[in-house]
Order: sequence, then structure tokens, then C-alpha cells
Amino acid sequence: MPTLTIAALTLREAVRRRVAAVVAILSLVLVALIAWGFWKLNGAIGNRTEAIGADAVLAILLAFMFSVVLGIGGAFLAAGSIAAEIDSGIALAVLPRPISRAQYVAGKWLGLVTLVISYAAVSGALAFLAIRFAAGYDPPNPLGALAYIIAQSVALLTLALLLSTRLPALAGGVLSVGLFGVSWIAGITAGVARALKAETLAHVASAVGLLLPMDGLWRGAVFDLTPVVVQVAEATGHGQHVNPFGVSDPPTPAFLVWCAVWIAAVFGACVGSMRSRDI
Amino acid sequence: MTTAPAIEALGLAKRFGRTTALADFSLTVARGEAFGFLGPNGAGKTTAVKLLLGLCRATSGAAEVLGAPVGDRETRRAIGYLPELFRYQEWLSAREVLGLHARLIGIPRTKRAAHIGEALDLVGLAARADDRVGGFSKGMQQRLGLGVALLGEPALVFLDEPTSALDPAGRRDVRAIVENLRARGTTVFLNSHLLTEVERVCDRVAFVDGGSVVAAGSIAEILGASRSLRMHLESVDESVRAILSRYGAVAAEPPSFTLRGVAEGDVPRLVTELAAAGAQIHAVEPARTTLEERFLQLLSHDDADTHDRRADAS
Repeated sequence: MPTLTIAALTLREAVRRRVAAVVAILSLVLVALIAWGFWKLNGAIGNRTEAIGADAVLAILLAFMFSVVLGIGGAFLAAGSIAAEIDSGIALAVLPRPISRAQYVAGKWLGLVTLVISYAAVSGALAFLAIRFAAGYDPPNPLGALAYIIAQSVALLTLALLLSTRLPALAGGVLSVGLFGVSWIAGITAGVARALKAETLAHVASAVGLLLPMDGLWRGAVFDLTPVVVQVAEATGHGQHVNPFGVSDPPTPAFLVWCAVWIAAVFGACVGSMRSRDI
Repeated sequence: MTTAPAIEALGLAKRFGRTTALADFSLTVARGEAFGFLGPNGAGKTTAVKLLLGLCRATSGAAEVLGAPVGDRETRRAIGYLPELFRYQEWLSAREVLGLHARLIGIPRTKRAAHIGEALDLVGLAARADDRVGGFSKGMQQRLGLGVALLGEPALVFLDEPTSALDPAGRRDVRAIVENLRARGTTVFLNSHLLTEVERVCDRVAFVDGGSVVAAGSIAEILGASRSLRMHLESVDESVRAILSRYGAVAAEPPSFTLRGVAEGDVPRLVTELAAAGAQIHAVEPARTTLEERFLQLLSHDDADTHDRRADAS
């Protein structure tokens, strides 16, 4: 019950502070621009096969933009959610109540995850529908891509929430976004290193990718947005060497289990950090 | 009905790195009393309150609140707290802030509105109940904090500087609230610099300095320990001075001075002896020591001790 109270409070804060309204307006403007852009693009390319290829690339770039907005937005909200309450003194009134530190953290996490899922579901659905109506193009697995983008954002916001138990809001936000960037660069580096057969570099980049699995999840989204014909090209080596952003295989089940364990472990560290923190 | 004290702390200590905020802090507060917790800035008062609320963890020592170990979740339903640094969600209305705390305490849904209404009336915010806290003055936010602390009729209320942002009318209101709480059996732990307020409303007080309790007792005990006489004497010679110094400590030079530390029953005999020694007695009146004077005496005594210790060490 206290967990749900804190979760509802977190959602209400996002609405009252106009975060939700600003993001909603931004998303609607972006969706309108996406629809217009796809319509113009398909009008300019007469060949249907070429148009599908261009649509696929554009859809992935747009998904990348959405995932970055979602990831960074979620990270900054999470980085401030506990730190700001401790720094301002709000936590002094809430934490003496009959609520455990674990429930407090769980409430914050649940509220933020609900916010991320709601935003991703609505804006993602609108974007994919806009692409369908403007260009007649459907990505291969939009729901799967959406799930990966949400998972990436949940992983990042859980990390930011952990930082929020110890660092001021701004420092936690900057650090978590920095780590998001490290994860992304590690993914690209691993692809380039494998292509160049630089095994040591590939191993190190892969290890960083496991420690910060956000990019691995994003690659799952890319796979689900890539048309089958391009996937085959990547898998047969025609695309991999020239495109470090390309994805030929979906994330393995073992990686997905690892991501779930990773999120649970970071959440556990978050609870532990909060329990031992003097307010 | 449990007979455990409202607060019982034994040897609590708290260190932040190399800084000792609280050292060997021991204190007992009985149920139903209004307890004044006094001390200079940085004495460790707020740290002690945070330890008793479970907001900080003690480095050593132990404490029970309402008969349960510090931090016990069920017990926390019966505890109200107004922090010195009071801040509430500025994007909520006063009613919504109280609603949040009512849910966290576990007040049944059907009774929440009544409890919230009572709290708003009590702290004089009923007319602004639906305004956002962000638009409140500091004084109004402190009133809201008081309402939050008193929500759900707690058995123990910690008030940390509850009048720091209030005007004289607000202070009078808080005094009335504390007296009302005491009348209905609520234990009030009042941490304040306004010693006149504490003297008016508290049954017992404790002085904390340097992280530990340096004096504790009822107001009468604390003030009685330093009874003073204001005197105006003339013809004061060495024999008169000797008599005065036998009964107390002379502060300032005659003819007008204060004689401190005189036992109440000794006053008639003192006057007789002074008259017999040839002193011309113009005035002898009991000087009521205020809590503020006692506070300053304790601090200056403490400073002197510290100075002496340093001198010994060197």
C-alpha cells in the first residue's frame, strides 16, 4: 500500500510539474513531422523497393531518437526523484512514516516505470501508425521494438535511481546519461572490433556492454525494426563489415535473462543504499 | 496499558566521519509530558531527534520510542514530526499533502476527510486548504508541517523549532496547541530556541551541549538550583562580604548586586546576620531566574570547564 501511494505520488508529480504535458506536446509535434517526412520521402522515391529500404532506415533513426529521449528523460527524472527529496527536506517528513526504505524506493521505481511505459506505448503507437498512414510501411516487429526500448529505459532509470540515493540530482543525471553513452559506444566499438578481428578490444567492449546492457537492448529494437532482407544481408556478412550499427541477430535469451538479473541487482543495490543512508 | 516511557535513550552516539554529533546521549521522557529539548546551535539536538525517529542510525547505544526499538514501523504510526527544515510537495495543495500523510499513516479512507479537516482547522489553514503549497509563505508552510505532525492523533510528537517562521500570533497558536496536546495526554518533544515558550509549556527540560545532556529535570528543579537575590546594601565592609560569600556568589559590586545560589530557607538568617554586621539593608528581593538565564549559565559554565580542561592539558 505505501509503495502504491509513493508510485501514485511520483506520477502525480510528473503531471503537476508539467513534465507529462511537455513530453506529450513534443511527441505530438514529432509524430506530425514524422508523418509529413515519410509522406514526402515516399513521394520522392518512385521505386517501391527502394522506398521500403529508406523507410526502414528512417524508422530506425526515429526509434533511436525516441529511445534517447525516453532514456535521458527517464534518467533525469529518476536521478532527481530521491536526491531532490532528500536535499530539499521533503524526505524528512515522509520517511518517519510507517514506510520502509524498500517500499519508498519501490514506489519511486514503479511510478517512473509506469511513466516510461505509458509514454513509450502512446508515442510509439502514434509514431508507427503515422508511418503506416503516411508511407504504407510497417516495421517487422514494432511491439518487440517498443518492448526493447522500454527495457532499455527501465535499465537506465534503475541505474539513475541508484545514483539518486547518493548523489545530488544533477550529478546523478549527468553520470547516468554519461554511462548511457558509454554503453552505446561500447556496442559500436564491439561491432567494429569484431569486424576488424581485434579480439581483445571486442572482449573489453562486450564486457562493458554486459555491465551497462542498455545498448544491447537497443540493438534488440534495431533488429525488430530491420526488414528481413536487410537482416539476411547483415547475417551473411554483406552489411556487418560496413555498418557497425547494423544488427544481424536478436539478443540471446541468456542476455535477456542477464538484463533482468542486472535490473533486479541494481534495484537491490538501490534499496540497500537507501537503507544505510542517513537522512 | 504499557508503562514504558515515551522515549528512553541510553548512551546514543553518532559520528559523521571524524565529527562527533552526539556522544553518550541518555534521556528518559515520560508518557504524556511536554519535554523541552534545549541547547546551542550545533549541540546535537536535531541529530538526536533524527536518531529517535530512525532517520539516522546510531553509531552506538540504544533507544526505545513508545516501548519499541527505534524505527519500528508500527510504532511510527503513532509518531508525528515537524522537521526544523520543513518542506512539503509544493505541487500539491495543503489538503493533498495531508491526504498523502493520512494514507501513509493508514487512516481508514472513511475517516481521512474528517482528520484532514481537523488538522487544517487546528493550524488555521482551512481557508487555504486547496491552494498549492508552492504559493505558501514560510509561516504557512510551517503551519502545514504542524498539521502534518498532528495528523491522526499521534501519541508522541517531535516538534523541531516549531515557531521559527511564525509571527507572534502564530507562536501563541503553537503554545495553545502544545498545551492542548499535553492536556489530552500526548507526549510532546519540543526542540526550541525560544526559551520563554519552553518555560511556559514544558513540564521538564534537558540541556544538551557538545552532543550530550548536561542538565535535565523539571522546570522547578532546573531553575531552583540557582536561586538568586537582588540586594541593595550600604556600609559593606569585609565582615559583610564574608557573610555574603558564605551564602552565595556575589555578582557585581555593592551597593546594588545579585547574590546567586542562595538556598530559599537561608534568606531570613542571611538578612539577620547582615543587619547584625552593620550593613544598611535597602532592598532584598528574590530574583527569579529565567530559563534563558539558566541556559546561559550552563553554557558559560560549560565553556569555563572546557577552558579549564584546555588549560590543564597545556
